[in-house]
Amino acid sequence: MRGVMTDRSENSLLLLPGLALLILGFLLPIIRMLALGVAGPDGLTMSVYAKVLGDSFYLGIFWRTIKLSALITLVCALLGVPLAYIIARSGPRLRFWLLVIVVLPLMTSVVIRTFGWMVMLGRSGIIPVGLRDLGVTSRAVSLMHTETAIVLGLAQVLLPFMVLSVLGVILRIDRRLEEAARTMGASFFGTLRHVVVPLAMPGIVAGSLLCFTLSASSFVTPSLLGGSRIQVLAASIYAAVTQTLDWPFAAAQAGVLFAGIALVLIPYLRLSGASRG
Amino acid sequence: MLRTSTAIFALALCGAVSANAQTQTLVINSFGGVYEQTHRKCIIEPFEKATGASVKVVTAYSADAFAQLRAQKAAPQFDILHFSGGQEIVGATEGLLAPIDAAKIPALADVYDIAKKNVAKGEGPAYQIAAIGLIVNTKSLPTAPTSWNDILDPKLGEHTALTDMSNSYGMLAFLMLNQVRGGTLDNIQPGLDAVKAMLKAGATVMKTSPEIQQAFAQGEAWVAPYASDYAFTLKKANMPAKFVQGKEGTPASFITVNVVAGRPNTDLAHKFVNQTMTAEAQACFAEGMRYSPTNSKAKVSDEVAADIAYGEKAIAGMIRFDPPTIEKNRAAWVDAWNKAIAK
Repeated sequence: MRGVMTDRSENSLLLLPGLALLILGFLLPIIRMLALGVAGPDGLTMSVYAKVLGDSFYLGIFWRTIKLSALITLVCALLGVPLAYIIARSGPRLRFWLLVIVVLPLMTSVVIRTFGWMVMLGRSGIIPVGLRDLGVTSRAVSLMHTETAIVLGLAQVLLPFMVLSVLGVILRIDRRLEEAARTMGASFFGTLRHVVVPLAMPGIVAGSLLCFTLSASSFVTPSLLGGSRIQVLAASIYAAVTQTLDWPFAAAQAGVLFAGIALVLIPYLRLSGASRG
Repeated sequence: MLRTSTAIFALALCGAVSANAQTQTLVINSFGGVYEQTHRKCIIEPFEKATGASVKVVTAYSADAFAQLRAQKAAPQFDILHFSGGQEIVGATEGLLAPIDAAKIPALADVYDIAKKNVAKGEGPAYQIAAIGLIVNTKSLPTAPTSWNDILDPKLGEHTALTDMSNSYGMLAFLMLNQVRGGTLDNIQPGLDAVKAMLKAGATVMKTSPEIQQAFAQGEAWVAPYASDYAFTLKKANMPAKFVQGKEGTPASFITVNVVAGRPNTDLAHKFVNQTMTAEAQACFAEGMRYSPTNSKAKVSDEVAADIAYGEKAIAGMIRFDPPTIEKNRAAWVDAWNKAIAK
């Protein structure tokens, strides 16, 4: 009787729990949410979406969200890829401690870390005062409630995701490839550019995806560092759900965010897939 | 040895069961943190001692507690709910809260009329009032502002800290500013114009109370329209903060105690409300948190009185912006506010 169960059916059995969780915990809520945004008192309506898309204020919030997320992803990649390379190529002891340093911030709550930034970015905080003392600015200017603050805060929160994604891939790159490139006369940076970065691309893509989606959907850090005058979409959704209790409006905004992220990510995945193939 | 311990265990079990059957339990909400500690000390513990009942406290803010009350309509889980955002008015209309029998609450006799208007309809009495005024940094501003109009002075510039409308104190402070500038609950444009002018001069908008504390601590904020209890929080943190009532009036945020409808132990719940409304309980709360007592017999020290709106005249003169009107307009107002303050 056991022979009847083929490998394939066993595989699909193994798939079931994950699939069930995905359908119950993700697909159904998403469908309900999308339905909430188009359900009017008498049948389907696009009026809520029209309110989101027809209002330059909410379009501005949407554009800011996409722009900041892209910027944060770029900062994470510029800092994270070299860091991951250094970690991958250091000795086991040093690697351990570097990893601890990268992962350690993940063990503190985002709220606590954000409050730390608030202290450092406020007018008498270390960063504005430092800039003044270095002569960069003529007086200490608070960096709180600026887009810069959001980028700094979120880049710090999301850096570990980039480093860990890239590190896993770099560790699997055969070191002899780099040695070969160097013996063939490539400079250190030439080797990085033509050998390491292309081979690490899957990790960079995965890390970028994580950073982009997490920053587009985070609201604690942007709302604390950006304040109420610089809103991002996720914070606006949160406010519509908890304060004004306008759930259809929140659902429509979430639908727009969902579509916006998909529109950015699908071409990106295609492009990076093509570059690998 | 084994037998003795089993016997003791069985005995203890019996004791626990019978004790459980005898003690009555009330389930209530409180607002967490120092508030909840003060709540326990001033009201809950004395109540337990006096009645032998036990009180189970669930930490839930007004909006959350109200959402639970609505969701549990068929089988309510709370006996007493405390609200600070006017939820009792909606709750009473929807029949979620039980009418309060004033005859069972002797302490109500000494409570100011404004605080017990609709108890028979189910709107629980206000046991304390948070007064909205100006929190002033006395070191940076030795001559404290006396009027709501004073915070419009462009010279204050970046040292004015406004609070976002998402915060209930921020909402009330804005409505007051709007009223002073000639607006009404039907027209908030004058208030929005005033806010825009202040932002242009450099004022900041805070979202949470810890941000206000930080702005005061760093010397960035000199004046912030906010509540009396928070001025005390700043003072306790050794900051030179003082609470000033604007001469045009003081908006009030009522904190009420309500009896939930459809629960078995309504009598015990009434006793709890009575305990909450006593002069002693309220004086104790004012001492610990700096809210205004609503019991006319509540005696507080001069030091406490200076920090709050205190006494019959002060309480009677407070402004209560109609909570149902606020609820009805909230979405539109928040939208207009967000657009007005957006950079």
